[in-house]
Amino acid sequence: MTRDVAIVAFAQAPLDQAPGQTETLMLLPTITDALNTVGLTRRDVDFTCSGSADYLTGGTFTFVQMLEAAGAWPPISESHVEMDGAWALYEAWVRLQHGDVDVALVFSSGRASASASLRETLTFQLDPYYLAPIGADYVSLAALQGQAVLERTGRTDKDLAQIVVQRRHDAIANPHAAVSGDVSVDELLRNDYVVEPLRTHDVGPAVDGAAAVVLVAGERARQICDRPAWIAGLDHRVDPHYPGVRDLAQSKSAALAAARAGVGNGGVEVAELCAVCTPEELVLTEALGLGDAVTINPSGGALVANPVMVTGLVRIGEAFRQVHDHGRQRVLGHASSGPCLQQNLVCVLEARD
Amino acid sequence: MTDPVQFMSHHTAVEYSLPEPSRLGVHFAVQLGRGKIIGHRCPQCAKVYVPPRGYCPLCVVETTDADEVSIADRGTITTFSVITPLQYPGQQETEDYVQATLLLDGSDTTLMVTGLEGIAIADVRTGLRVEAVWAPDGERGAAAVGVRGMGLGDAVKGWRPTGEPDLPREQLAEHVL
Amino acid sequence: MATTWKLEFPYRRSVGPVIGAFLTGLRDRRVVGVRTAGGRVLVPPFEYDPDTGEPASDLVEVGSAGVIEHGAWVGTPLRTHPLDRPFAWALVRLDGADTALLHALDCGSAAGAEPGARVRIRWRTETVGHVSDIECFEPE
Repeated sequence: MTRDVAIVAFAQAPLDQAPGQTETLMLLPTITDALNTVGLTRRDVDFTCSGSADYLTGGTFTFVQMLEAAGAWPPISESHVEMDGAWALYEAWVRLQHGDVDVALVFSSGRASASASLRETLTFQLDPYYLAPIGADYVSLAALQGQAVLERTGRTDKDLAQIVVQRRHDAIANPHAAVSGDVSVDELLRNDYVVEPLRTHDVGPAVDGAAAVVLVAGERARQICDRPAWIAGLDHRVDPHYPGVRDLAQSKSAALAAARAGVGNGGVEVAELCAVCTPEELVLTEALGLGDAVTINPSGGALVANPVMVTGLVRIGEAFRQVHDHGRQRVLGHASSGPCLQQNLVCVLEARD
Repeated sequence: MTDPVQFMSHHTAVEYSLPEPSRLGVHFAVQLGRGKIIGHRCPQCAKVYVPPRGYCPLCVVETTDADEVSIADRGTITTFSVITPLQYPGQQETEDYVQATLLLDGSDTTLMVTGLEGIAIADVRTGLRVEAVWAPDGERGAAAVGVRGMGLGDAVKGWRPTGEPDLPREQLAEHVL
Repeated sequence: MATTWKLEFPYRRSVGPVIGAFLTGLRDRRVVGVRTAGGRVLVPPFEYDPDTGEPASDLVEVGSAGVIEHGAWVGTPLRTHPLDRPFAWALVRLDGADTALLHALDCGSAAGAEPGARVRIRWRTETVGHVSDIECFEPE
């Protein structure tokens, strides 16, 4: 029997930061904002969990400095994952299941701009024997998945561009979108390929970012938040790492995570999917069993802004907004990690009026 | 060759952009160029941070130019290590040297410093009073103001004993690191 | 004035009996895979069956040529890619293997990287026991 936990607040750092703004100073006001919206202070937080990747800035233990934004004196109970903040949220949810504490702060940050070449930097997270030495970067791997998807489904790069048209249009209303506006499929198809079939618009722009989420267990959530988004299901699964070992046109781990998170128990109205490249949306829509009635990525999704290490947490945060700000009843937020959607996390949120 | 392969070499090299200095970082470096060290005093707890980082980690409040204070260019060694440099690829040191934490007068945070001069390694001690040996005017580069803001970059070339009596250890207990 | 800095580590990794067998094979210009309990031949080999988690140590030799499963054309290679001219990434199922090996394919244009096409390994002149002993694939 799991304990009821809800998301009660979500805040995201603005895209425009002062030149040379440190990650800690990006996070500090973001965390304050998240806590303020529900009248909490840092002293009310029982457990803190953060996500980041030292690879992004090339400094060991850089996340320790970020902790200062959370206020680590007097000493706090905290943990960290070298992953997208969505997995920090998972750990915080697990901690709250113990029943002895009620309030958790989750945050993540990343400065993708620190890499001279983000594609080269992220390659070092891969298999050191077979993949890293040949420089198989995340866009190249996503392109291979893209080929597999287009071959399997008969879709074309026009279909991929159509996804971008919709996402950029929806992103007009999103102040955190790095790219937005109305553009046609024909205009997009004039863009250069990065790795075929992916053109520049098929890859979400990597940006610096930070986000914070507040989780509260039990009745306390109702006391401080007018419309908590209750976590009805939360699960994450992982596929084998090496791309040649699995069918890239599908995502078994995403499907399994969705099943375990109970996506099918009532369906969802909205899905915020962590698809950093366009073919990933096609794979995920199928894997999560999302029909035409589901609104996909009303924020624009990761195709309009990819704050590396934060993108998944932002999807869950945007799903929270759909419940809290836009009156939705049942939604999902998805996060992914690893090449070709290797790891997938699904979070189902619902309102309980 | 018939022996089975047991090891694989993998020389990894990742390139990063030098971080653009923050406005506060530039200001700190400009002041160093003028031979001045500044810090920020927290408006809530009054602790002084050198270099200033733009916030107080204890109170979790941002600090601004209004919180700027002047810091002396002399202070006290609170602790130290004698480093015998390991000759790993990229190592530039060959001789033993001292890495010390230095509490500048007026600061509540310590700096990690090397370049102690005018004193034998064996005589370095907690409580030793030292003063900055500044680079000549015009040679106090704003570059390399320390990784993670822990140093004074090229502006201060070293530290030498002032000759003042040592500060008692008990006064330094809160500032070891 | 420098605008970038570089982080370098000279790693020397132990490779164990399974990956070691694969790399030893490459040094000798042979391709070695591993057969799982379920009969699936994994190339490159892993020490465990990704489907069951069971250890895998039954080494088998496979061919140096095979079939493209998926190919993706790279018009502008990165510095870290295997080739410094346009090439295709290719997932290739070598003859006798049940999984695909990823490497560069020197095929001249995207048309040379279609699924189903046969390719073979181009070995490096001097092999040392490293995945780059395979210089790349080339059309058969």
